[in-house]
Formats: sequence, C-alpha cells, structure tokens
Amino acid sequence: MSGERLSGAQLLCRLLLEEGVDLIWGYPGGAIMPFYHALPEHPGLRHILVRHEQAAAHAADGYARASGRIGVCVATSGPGATNLVTGLATAHMDSSPVVAITGQVPRHMIGRDAFQETDVIGLTLPITKHSCQVRDVTELADEVRKAIAIAKEGRPGPVLIDVPKDVQNQQTTYEPARPPAPPAVPATPVSRARAEAVAAAAGLIAGAARPLIMVGHGVILADAYDAVRQLAEQTGIPVITTLLGISAFPESHPLHLGMPGMHGEVHVNRAIQQADVIVGIGLRFDDRVTGNTAGFAPRAQIVHVDLDASEIGKNVPTAVAIVGDAKEAVAELLRAVAPRRCDAWRHEILSFVRPRQETYRGDLSPENIVGAVHEVTGDRVTIVTDVGQHQMWVAKLYPYRRPNTHITSGGLGTMGFAVPAAMGVALARPAEPVWSISGDGGFQMNLQEIATMVQEKIPVKMGIFNNGYLGMVRQWQQFFHGRRYSATPIWSPDYVKLADAYGIAGWRVEEASQLQDVLARAHATPGPALVEFVIEQEANVFPMIPPGASLSEPIEAESVGAPGA
Amino acid sequence: MTEGSAVPHAVSVLLDEELLALNRTVGALRRRNLPIESIAVGPAGAPGLARLTIILNSDVATVDTTVKKLHKLSGVRAAVTFPVDEGVTRELALVKVRAQHERYAALLDVIELFNADVVDEGADAVIVQVTGSGSFILAFIRAVEGFGILDVARSGSVALARATD
Repeated sequence: MSGERLSGAQLLCRLLLEEGVDLIWGYPGGAIMPFYHALPEHPGLRHILVRHEQAAAHAADGYARASGRIGVCVATSGPGATNLVTGLATAHMDSSPVVAITGQVPRHMIGRDAFQETDVIGLTLPITKHSCQVRDVTELADEVRKAIAIAKEGRPGPVLIDVPKDVQNQQTTYEPARPPAPPAVPATPVSRARAEAVAAAAGLIAGAARPLIMVGHGVILADAYDAVRQLAEQTGIPVITTLLGISAFPESHPLHLGMPGMHGEVHVNRAIQQADVIVGIGLRFDDRVTGNTAGFAPRAQIVHVDLDASEIGKNVPTAVAIVGDAKEAVAELLRAVAPRRCDAWRHEILSFVRPRQETYRGDLSPENIVGAVHEVTGDRVTIVTDVGQHQMWVAKLYPYRRPNTHITSGGLGTMGFAVPAAMGVALARPAEPVWSISGDGGFQMNLQEIATMVQEKIPVKMGIFNNGYLGMVRQWQQFFHGRRYSATPIWSPDYVKLADAYGIAGWRVEEASQLQDVLARAHATPGPALVEFVIEQEANVFPMIPPGASLSEPIEAESVGAPGA
Repeated sequence: MTEGSAVPHAVSVLLDEELLALNRTVGALRRRNLPIESIAVGPAGAPGLARLTIILNSDVATVDTTVKKLHKLSGVRAAVTFPVDEGVTRELALVKVRAQHERYAALLDVIELFNADVVDEGADAVIVQVTGSGSFILAFIRAVEGFGILDVARSGSVALARATD
C-alpha cells in the first residue's frame, strides 16, 4: 500500500476509512465534487444524501453521541458550509465529536469573492474545537489525522477541515498512519495534588449531613455509568441528573431524584438549596441548572469533577476540584470514601415532593403520551428530543433505565435538532427503535429530512407535540410578558397527509384512549412513521424558575392558574 | 465569580506562529469583552512559535478563567498570567514630535530625561524612540505634548515573569 499515488479526494476517503469511518452525511456541490467523484471507489463509506446541510451536521452529531465514535458530515463551499454552522455550534456546546469536511474554492481564487466562496474557517472559529484549511495535498494526511484526534481527545468537540477544490485534485503519495498515533496531549500521571484533592473530596463526603451527587453529560462521555452508581450506592447519596445527564443514572433507582434547574422538580431544587456538599460530576453548572448563581446552593461546598479545567470555578465557586476523566476520578473516589448512608436526608427530600396538578383536555397529557411511548417501546428505545416544552416533559417524565438513551440539544437549545439527529442515532443503533420527539415548531424546521429517511430506509419514528404554538416562548409570554402572544401561534400542515405525501405511515392522536393502539402500530411499522399528538394548546411546563431568579423561587401551577385560564 | 478588584495582569501566551492560532486566541478574548489594555505579538524564542502578550485590567478570578480557556485552544502551547507588578513589562514607542529651532534644546532635555533616543531627524520634526513600562511611555508622551506631537506608534507591552519565580 505504501507509496500508492492518490488524488487529494481519494486520500481523504482513505483517511476516513483509516479512522474506521463507514458513514458520511452530506450534500454535494461545485467545490466538493472531486471528493464525490472519488466516493464510489470506496464502498466502505456509506454516504447519506440529506436534504439540507444543517441536517448533515445534526445527523453526524446524533451518530457521534449514540455511537461514541466520530460523526462525519460533508458540504460544499459557500452556502453548503454556512448551512453546517448551526449543527457545529450545537455539537460544540454539547461536546460531540463531529468532523466536518467542506470544499473550498481553488486556492488561486481564495479571497477574491469567488462564486460560492465563504471564509468558513473565520465563521466557525468560535464554535469548533479546531479548524484548518489544507493548503497543499502534502499536508492533507497530517491535517486530517490531527483534526480527528483533536475531535476525540479529552473533552470531545467538533472540528472542521476545509479543502480547496484544486487540493482535492492534486496528486500525492499515500503513506498509511504509523500506529500507534502519538496522543496530542500526554496522559497526566496521578499527581500528589490529585490524590490530595480526592482525599479532600472524600473528607467532605464523609462529613456531610446533606450531600448530593449531580451528574452531567461527562458521565455518559466517560462511560462512568457503573462507577457513579457504585459511588451513590456506597454512600447512599441521592443523585440528580442534569438535562444532558439524563440516562447517566437509572431513573428507577431509589437514589435517583430527577432534574434540577429552571424546569427541575421542586424537591430537587429544594434539595440543592439545602445541601451542604454537592459532588458535581461531568457537568458545567450551566445557568439553566443554577438559576442565579448568587443564590445557588448557598450552604453547599462543591466538589467539581470535570475533564475540562476551564470549567472549574467558571460558574460556581468550587471547594475541591478534580480535573480528569469522570470514570477514573469516580473510581478514585470510590476507593477513598467509606461506606455510609443518607436515609434521613433522602426521606427529607422525598417529603418535599409535590404531586403534579395540571389537567389536560382529552386526558392527552404529557405523562400519558410519554408513558405510552415507554410502554410500547420498553427500555430498548433511544429518545431524541428537540427544544421546548416537549423536551422538558420528556426529560422529566420518561423513565430512562439505560445509559445514553436520551439525546437532546442541551447547551445550544437548537430547534430542528431532533429529526435529523435521530437519523444519526438510528444508524448508530440499527437494532434498536429510535423515536424523535419534537414540537410543531421544531418539527417544521427540518421536516424535509423525512425524504432522506425514505430514500435511505432510516426507521425513525417521529412524534410531534402539536399545540399550535411555539409553546415554550408562549409560556414565557404568558408568565413574563402579560400574555401578549407575539408571533407564537404557528399553523401546521395536515401531518397525516404530509406523511402520506412522503409515502410513510402517519397518525393523529387526539384522545388518550387512542395512544396505545396508534403507538403500537407505529412501533410495529417498518421504516419511518409519524405520530401527531394534538395536545392542550396552553399547557405549561411546571415548575419554572424565572430567568435570573434563584432555585428557591419556583413558579408552580397553582400560582399561575389552570392552563388557558 | 468577579469578586476582587481589578489589577493589571499580564497574560503571556505561547502559540503556533500562524494567523489562525492568533485569530482563535484573540477571538476568545473578544468574545468575553475583557478590559484589554494592550496586545503585542511577535516571534517567540523557539522556531514556529509566537508570543502573544495581553495586558488585562481585571480581577484574579476572571484572569484565571481566561487563561484556562486560552490554554485549551487549538494552536495554543502555553498560557500563563502574573500581575504586572510581579513581572517585567516593557513597551516601545516611536513619537514624531515637531522640532522648531528655538525649542529644540528644550526638547532634547526632555528626551534625555526619559533616556529616549532621536532615531530620525527631519527639517521640522524628529522621531523619538522611548522604551519602558506603559506608564513611563505615557509620561513621556505627556512631557512632549507641548512641543506638538505629529504621530505616535506604540508596540504594546511585552512581559515576562521575574527570573526569581
């Protein structure tokens, strides 16, 4: 193989295969045509033609999150590249290793405002972990290998490789990677400082009367699911899961409390406000989790375990910092902490639990919908949610029991994420059912991807919570803007007819009594299928911490009145 | 996390000598709207590396977070910070001053006082090179203001932590 002559485009394909890539999401165009010309010579690379480049980035993101491997998307220069931007920003905020390859105008035309030229490096600098433009084919292999290594190492994140068209056509000699590739960041040995930090954390845990464990996405990324459960069981400390930490701890576990923050349960936020020690693992204390940081966990000393040193102390003051892989750090903690129990504290927290009070027309409540999805799919399913009210309902109500089976756009809050990301999840987990759940707003942002599912036989089941509003924005308007529903009523097409137009099965559910039958039929349908849930128009997500308020100041259902009142 | 009073800090960044790494680094600073007093960039000691020196007038927590953020950027090899007081800070300025015959001797007195050099002499103006801390440069500029300043070019501060550290 050594010394083989290849074009830049052929080399690019070879480098992807070398990295174990077998799936690419993309859309061809002028500046990436040499790559697409080479693609059929590499049958090991399956290419999925999306209907919009944004979907390619989200699908690659979904694939990466579900598989733990890199997700690859490809676009042409100019508008193709700019359409990737939202997907890359989404992946960046949620630490997902997406590798984007963009065509670029030939080198002699760069900077001359050529047709379909855009400075994609400049555009994506703040939303990628790394980006590069390959200036000569002799640099291509090194640049691609380096970019992919950066995407995967440490805290994962997206990278972008911009390849001018003439570089794709240049001839070069292929040299296979020299295994093993040297790690770009050398592994740090366990230092004395680290051992001291672990001992200090163990001391805080041992002395705490009201300790909590808060777990985030880092636990899933580090595969620390079992380690965290052992830590909880060894210490009896109740566990809180952030939005991206959902499914990082079994929800059926007696120590599981729920989600914190803006739409967290009252008992979870009260527990945080009363805690004396919080062990945060793989989370960044995002503002949606903390509320006003000045009033966050006022009695708690915080132990923060995170792979990214720049997260320590960024949002909340930290008593003990352990910088490193969550799995290793928790294993060290496990060896350092003595077994204990926290029964009185756990029972105190459970005494804070408030029953949900909302009622819904036709009994088509989020509980009933989510419960029926679970009943039909069991624990095998992965749920991909979009952004808004339905996202919060699913996060709060779905009883996740397997790690990494809840995938959503957390940090960026990207509407339109669910449908294309679910395609990526479906191809990463071909043996398991995958449901995307969206609102009527987010679904209409990327519904064109139904065509991709049909063409490529990607069996995503799509649920749509249709309330005729951009529901979460409407809820904010109701609470904070005097019910002025400015630009939030949204018309939808007839989704059953839409499904029919794409040649897939579709159902509309208007009563809870229809749920079981329709969901069972959708679940049994091979290939993609669509189910619309016509829900209460002005239902709200309760409780809610108003933006800028502390976790001690929730809005609960009774303080606002019945939906639509 | 912004408790503590603002103190001038030097942030010294060793990065790959390419515009992309510089762009990424400066972009990260720009994004946080930090109170930047000066930026200087030039080749570092080792080949292929550049040294970026930023003087930030900010509290310790903000500066520490900034350095941690910079540290993880692709293309950044190292990033350290120290209060300006705890390092050596130097800046170079070229100041073009009107030099009328009758006041030339007085101007030379000021130049000598600041240990500055006349590096170019024209018919009715001179270019003076002055080196020192940022406040020293500012003091020189104030001192020659009365003669008529035609132009000023300042390099921005470069800084190193003291050798005793």
